[in-house]
Amino acid sequence: MAKPKIGMRDAFFNALYEIAVSDPDVYIVSADNGAPSIDQFASNLKEQFIQVGIAEQQMIGMAAGLALEGKKVYTYAICPFITARVYEQIKIDVCAQNLPVTMLGVGAGYAYDIMGPTHHTVEDFAILRVQPNMTILSPADGTTAAAMAPWTHRHAGPCYVRFDRAGLPEIYDAAPDLARGFAVLREGSDCAIVATGVMVGQALAAAEELHRRGISAGVVDLFRIKPVDAAALFAALGEVPNVVTLEEHYRAGGIGGMFAEMIADREEPRRLLRLGQHDRFAFEMGGRSVIWENAGLDVPGIVTRVDRWMAAAREGRLAAAGRS
Amino acid sequence: MSHRSLEELQQKARWVRRTVLEMAVSAKSGHVTSAFSQTELLVALYYGGILRVRPEQPDWPDRDRFILSKGQGGIGLYPILADLGFFPREELDRFTQRGSKLGVHCEWHVPGIETVSGSLGHGLPVATGMAEAARRDGKDHLVVLVTGDAELYEGSNWEAAIVAGARRYDNLIVIVDRNGQGVLGHTDPRDDAYMEWSSDGPALEPLAAKFAAFGWEAKEIDGHDFRQIFDSLDGIRDRRGRGPLAVVARTVKGKGVPFLENQRRWHYRVPEGEELEIARRALA
Repeated sequence: MAKPKIGMRDAFFNALYEIAVSDPDVYIVSADNGAPSIDQFASNLKEQFIQVGIAEQQMIGMAAGLALEGKKVYTYAICPFITARVYEQIKIDVCAQNLPVTMLGVGAGYAYDIMGPTHHTVEDFAILRVQPNMTILSPADGTTAAAMAPWTHRHAGPCYVRFDRAGLPEIYDAAPDLARGFAVLREGSDCAIVATGVMVGQALAAAEELHRRGISAGVVDLFRIKPVDAAALFAALGEVPNVVTLEEHYRAGGIGGMFAEMIADREEPRRLLRLGQHDRFAFEMGGRSVIWENAGLDVPGIVTRVDRWMAAAREGRLAAAGRS
Repeated sequence: MSHRSLEELQQKARWVRRTVLEMAVSAKSGHVTSAFSQTELLVALYYGGILRVRPEQPDWPDRDRFILSKGQGGIGLYPILADLGFFPREELDRFTQRGSKLGVHCEWHVPGIETVSGSLGHGLPVATGMAEAARRDGKDHLVVLVTGDAELYEGSNWEAAIVAGARRYDNLIVIVDRNGQGVLGHTDPRDDAYMEWSSDGPALEPLAAKFAAFGWEAKEIDGHDFRQIFDSLDGIRDRRGRGPLAVVARTVKGKGVPFLENQRRWHYRVPEGEELEIARRALA
């Protein structure tokens, strides 16, 4: 039953390779980033693979030019360099012209932990979700990532896929319904933890611990960050009055920020606790677990925060505990 | 090479400049001097039998792709597109007004415009993608791009120049509108005092040699001289194996109206009053 762990990037590229073999209009443009799963394009589909060098502006602009000529283009680089570094090319060349360019970023959040803030990507949701026409995908495992390859191939507009770096434990036996954009992994009546990417696993572990403490916590995997079907999402949350968002992203502008907007816009009678990185760069060494610990994104940190916040609600101290 | 006489082309150029002036006056906006430096280049491309386009069918698959990367020059391209029939000439009178398609910068919903430009340094990377697609698909159309020289300070151009040279895109033609001026000053320092203080930019020269060093064929011409423009583009449909072509066309910002020429304060200003009358007489 246990599937072999495979990096979500490799799961995606292996699935994309099968598509590219039968669709010669598929192009991969890489800014000097590779992987064994990408080598098969370079060696077997030479005409569909372009290595532009460490030149991300060129990568996105060229992809736009190819897309204007009817090609289905995938660009590939490490997350920070395919988002913040080329933000204006994404805005003008891709989004303003609503072109079918899918930007594949590897190394979501703190995946490149000890490489420091140059390689951390904890603002990508915030900056990309404000761009009209943009779709943002954030798989939690290889199964979901593999399913996203044919989905993005059919998708007509700009898309960004945020892959983790390492192989993560598989969440799903079969890919979730991608059209829905989210999946309910665990039911809960006291609160619902909405997480994305690597944090879905953290949410499941935290929910288990909260259960031991007498708190019934549900878990939702939000694998499409934009667009979100808010009506369907809140319907799935049901009557649960407390929503916790959990992400390897700044609290500002990520899925926590999105939920704050949706709750306000929909006049939802729900409390919201946003868990993510605070307004600071993470220079600390020791690995991802250290960064998580300092940001309160490790399982004990998550459990403590949620527990305290739920207790505050019970005691009527609404405002104090939600802040941090 | 031209389908029209030199005199006809010169008349077109004068008409373009007059039209640009009146569009800017009526909109109280528009980069007149930037449009004037590129005028002969665009007139040659569109009226001189160089670009293969079908105004009645702007998306004709076999058309040459033309990108005006210096998007603020849109005001100088629209009169030509309208005159050729891409859209009604009345549209020119409504430049930047409510309901008009025509803005200060080139936007892709305008028939004849291939890609959005206005933020500088975007055109050449996009052009390389178009050149790649054309070659892969076995198409014989060209990708022709006009860039400003000050725009070449943007590093994205050189990222694209490396790729275009290395991949030998002989279907890609770049014409540099080398008017020598940015907003703040000249694009190359003019004297030895430069290093002390100057609002001139760092030197772009030797510009043609830079393209050549990236594997391009490079030429330098007078960008207001139709004969030199045509000579530099002679045989551009049959350049197999020669790599992309860069034509550095020396021009004068504000060309055609003496008091506008090479005056940096006119970069985004529109003449009015007595100055407007002088400009109108100069272009009559």
